[in-house]
Amino acid sequence: MATKRKTPPATKASSSRKTSNSTRMTTGNGTATMKNGISVRMYDVGFGDCFLVTIPTSNGDRRILFDCGSVAKGRKDMDTVVDTLIRDVGGPDEARIDVVVCTHRHKDHVAGFSRKEWANVDVGEVWMPWTESDEPEAIRIREAQARLALSLDAHLQRQAALAATPADRERYESAREFTLNATGNETAMETLHEGFKGRTDILRRFLPEKDKDGKILDTLKTDLLPGVTIHVFGPSRDERAIRDMDPPAGKTYMQFAVSTEEGSNAPDPFSRDWWVRNHKTVSETDKVHIARFSDGFSTVVAGSLDSAVNGTSLMLLLQFRDKYLFFPGDSQWGTWNAAMENNKFYELMKRVQFYKVGHHGSHNATPIQFVEKTIRNQIVCMASTRSMKNWPHIPLTKLMDNLAKRGAVVRSDQPPARSDVFLVGDGIIDTFIPL
Amino acid sequence: MKATWYGHPSRRPLKIFASDPMAGRTSGNRVTIEINDEPLRPGPSGERLEVIDYDGAHRRFYKPVDLDERAILIQNGLDPSESDPRFHQQMVYAVAMKTLENFDNALGRPLSMKRHGRKLRLFPHALHGANAFYDPEIHAVLFGYFRADRTNPGPNLPGGNIFTCLSHDIIVHEMTHAIVHRLRRHFLEPSNRDVIAFHEGFADIVALLQHFSFTELLRDEIQKTRSDIRLPNHLVQMARQFGFATGTGQELRSALDKDPDPKLYNTVIEPHRRGSIMVAAVFDAFFNIYLRRIRDLIRIATGGTGELPAGDLHPDLVRRIADEASSTAQTLLTMCIRAFDYLPPVDITFGDYLRALVTADYELFPEDKLRRRSAMIEGFRLRGIYPANINSLAEEALLWEVPEGIPALPVNDRKIINWIVRSTEKVSRQAGRARKTTTNRYEESPEDTLAEETMLSKDALFFALGAWADANAPKLHLDRTRPLQVAGVHTVYRVAPDGSLLIELVAQFAQQNRDKVESLGGLPMRGGTTVVASLDGTVRYVVAKPLPSPRISRDKQKEAARREEEQMAYVATLDGRDVQLPYMSTKDMLERMRLRMNFASLHGGF
Repeated sequence: MATKRKTPPATKASSSRKTSNSTRMTTGNGTATMKNGISVRMYDVGFGDCFLVTIPTSNGDRRILFDCGSVAKGRKDMDTVVDTLIRDVGGPDEARIDVVVCTHRHKDHVAGFSRKEWANVDVGEVWMPWTESDEPEAIRIREAQARLALSLDAHLQRQAALAATPADRERYESAREFTLNATGNETAMETLHEGFKGRTDILRRFLPEKDKDGKILDTLKTDLLPGVTIHVFGPSRDERAIRDMDPPAGKTYMQFAVSTEEGSNAPDPFSRDWWVRNHKTVSETDKVHIARFSDGFSTVVAGSLDSAVNGTSLMLLLQFRDKYLFFPGDSQWGTWNAAMENNKFYELMKRVQFYKVGHHGSHNATPIQFVEKTIRNQIVCMASTRSMKNWPHIPLTKLMDNLAKRGAVVRSDQPPARSDVFLVGDGIIDTFIPL
Repeated sequence: MKATWYGHPSRRPLKIFASDPMAGRTSGNRVTIEINDEPLRPGPSGERLEVIDYDGAHRRFYKPVDLDERAILIQNGLDPSESDPRFHQQMVYAVAMKTLENFDNALGRPLSMKRHGRKLRLFPHALHGANAFYDPEIHAVLFGYFRADRTNPGPNLPGGNIFTCLSHDIIVHEMTHAIVHRLRRHFLEPSNRDVIAFHEGFADIVALLQHFSFTELLRDEIQKTRSDIRLPNHLVQMARQFGFATGTGQELRSALDKDPDPKLYNTVIEPHRRGSIMVAAVFDAFFNIYLRRIRDLIRIATGGTGELPAGDLHPDLVRRIADEASSTAQTLLTMCIRAFDYLPPVDITFGDYLRALVTADYELFPEDKLRRRSAMIEGFRLRGIYPANINSLAEEALLWEVPEGIPALPVNDRKIINWIVRSTEKVSRQAGRARKTTTNRYEESPEDTLAEETMLSKDALFFALGAWADANAPKLHLDRTRPLQVAGVHTVYRVAPDGSLLIELVAQFAQQNRDKVESLGGLPMRGGTTVVASLDGTVRYVVAKPLPSPRISRDKQKEAARREEEQMAYVATLDGRDVQLPYMSTKDMLERMRLRMNFASLHGGF
């Protein structure tokens, strides 16, 4: 386990690409040394994810970054976090990350990558879900999601402006949290697809990959991470999972997209000759009730869009020697179900010792079965999250309590005063998994 | 004013679109259907339904049609037109009434559709959107309209208007939801995987079979469809040709196409897909019965060889086959609706429905001469739908429990006799026209009866029945220590083909347990029993869904415990899949199962 020693704060982390088995990392309060252990650093980004994993391989320490984004800041703003992160990996001059993983293209996972500073960071490989590739199916899904996000956002904005009551306006505004999460990420995605120091020379992998016969490869090994096996649990490529990635049912969504292009005004179904004054009593309450349905359930659609993008999320199990670290991104029911139905994956899940809590601690991003039945060991969990006014159930208290019972869990927005398992710094929380 | 006695109620013919115009133009797209005549005010507004053309997207009304206007009357209604809103109103009224009549006839009594004193309302152009649904909150069916996609319009004019109210099948589907809700209020509460799926599947079955009962339409289609009329695919293709539209049309068609897979019933959760398993089962039965009925026609037409000639079929043959198909559809529709009286008051499963189908049909036709029941049982069996708590699929095992040693219903009570006599009046033809009666002509829903001015005999009836149920609670699998609600009682009149009259009394008793409301997402656990008795009070069947209670038999206790487990597991399953769940407010979280049950979002495809 890690020991805390008080020494004067160091200013620069050493980037060890050489042979040493130990890593020095700066924390706000001092330096910690770890021999022979995997370290996971959770940056406090607020509502978002940013995790730096350092593995002491036979060829020296290797770093994997899982996401970097936020939609609502933590104690520090995103810029500060990115600066800290780059410094932690040897920046500004010798910044190096061996693998950058982008689990899915939501703002709260990619926003940080829009900074220009990334152009100076040397990256070995970038891993993204297969929906980011050039395959026709991938392009189709991406475009469908993007189109819906844009048209839906425009529609919600209009509806909010025209809202009859503050409550209604609030409903539309909060639905925009979903659409905005899915839009405006172009610069960040550009960095991921074409940026960093090596630019297009850097290898991009779209997971899960296929071999030349088209068979899906559910494990990945790379020379950049000697001794590490990555198990790719998701996103699934099967039909049912793809259906989950499609924004709400074909026809309805199409209608929606069309109507918003034409200004979201309902077509006039009949010419003026047919219009008459009230000839029947329909109460005002009923009229208002009926009128509500004409907005095409935009708020519900927004939620479904969010879920569709989450459905593309990478779900990875990182194995090094006998240690298993589980990063499910924001995967939801469809991906989890497919993974748990796979016997091989299920067996691996039982061995998990570290778990990055899915989707900021929300209810159905961590199945009850996983927590109560699957996990065999004591586990260490980290949840990168914060409370959001409109979403009292993220993170779900019951889930956090349940996880705590099985080991230790920490929330990025509620660092513990004392802990044997977590090392708290300024805007960061570390944990070590001894080998 | 002298009352004029015309004898039989007259019929009113009205033109409608036979095929869903959303599926494009097909020739012979018009059909004239007949419904019972009633005086109509502009709307049209009748005694049980009224059409109100209010457009919620534009907040305006459209001119209502007066179907009693002479010029319109003598032409069998307006000609089908997409641009004249009055035709839309006419079509919605006609098809909705036709659906209601099918239920009236099958159930042997006319249903009132009033709720809290309000008629059922239908809004043909209520909202902008590709959606149509029954809204229990305002007791209305709302139809949407929208523009065809410019780039992918399918068979429609790009950017042209599409009206869900012009689809026969959609109107029937939504009306069926409204009627089922009237017959079994608690079937909207999703207490197990089958409940909502049943609502959807049953609505599709009624729409499908009602559509197949249009003989003229079938004649055209049989001739046009190139595949062998003896293959199931033929009927499926016909359904496709009329552009059979359901909540999500795609699912139904593919359900009919595929070979039955019993695994699906165990894995599919989504209500439309699950419902279509049941539809496919009934469709199978339909096809098999139809095949048996045309066998002799084929023999005659081919002189025993069975080889049909290539090219067009003889028009006489086509007509006869069409007649067989449409009468099979009508008979099967009646059979499917009749089963309702034999359903438990709560927590329906597909297995319950199968048992109800078999029992109801057995009551009228003890010998299954036409092998309808065996076709149904087979259809369900092939899809892995097995009723709970039985040990064989033989017909006798599927009949509902015949109770032993239970005393008869207290029919000798004078109040009850009065009530039976009064309800007989309602069904008789003389009652409506010749004289005004003080009693409502239609059988009301239980809530409305109690809400309206008390007709003493009905109130007293409920009291007497409640007392009887209380006294016999154990045999009825009810829990005496819990409040008991008489959820409904009515007489049923049916005529068997041999001319014998079957009169039954059907009573529903319901209870609830609110102890675990939170873990059930805002729903109580419900239990209850439907009792079917003959006119002398002898109890013929007891259809029970017991609540967990130490006061019932050991077997029933196990059943009840299993039901409770399943209800909780279902809540958890839905939670796992609910994209809205993480973002719910605390208030919504507590009521989430209730919130999940609304046709609006279900039909919007979410």
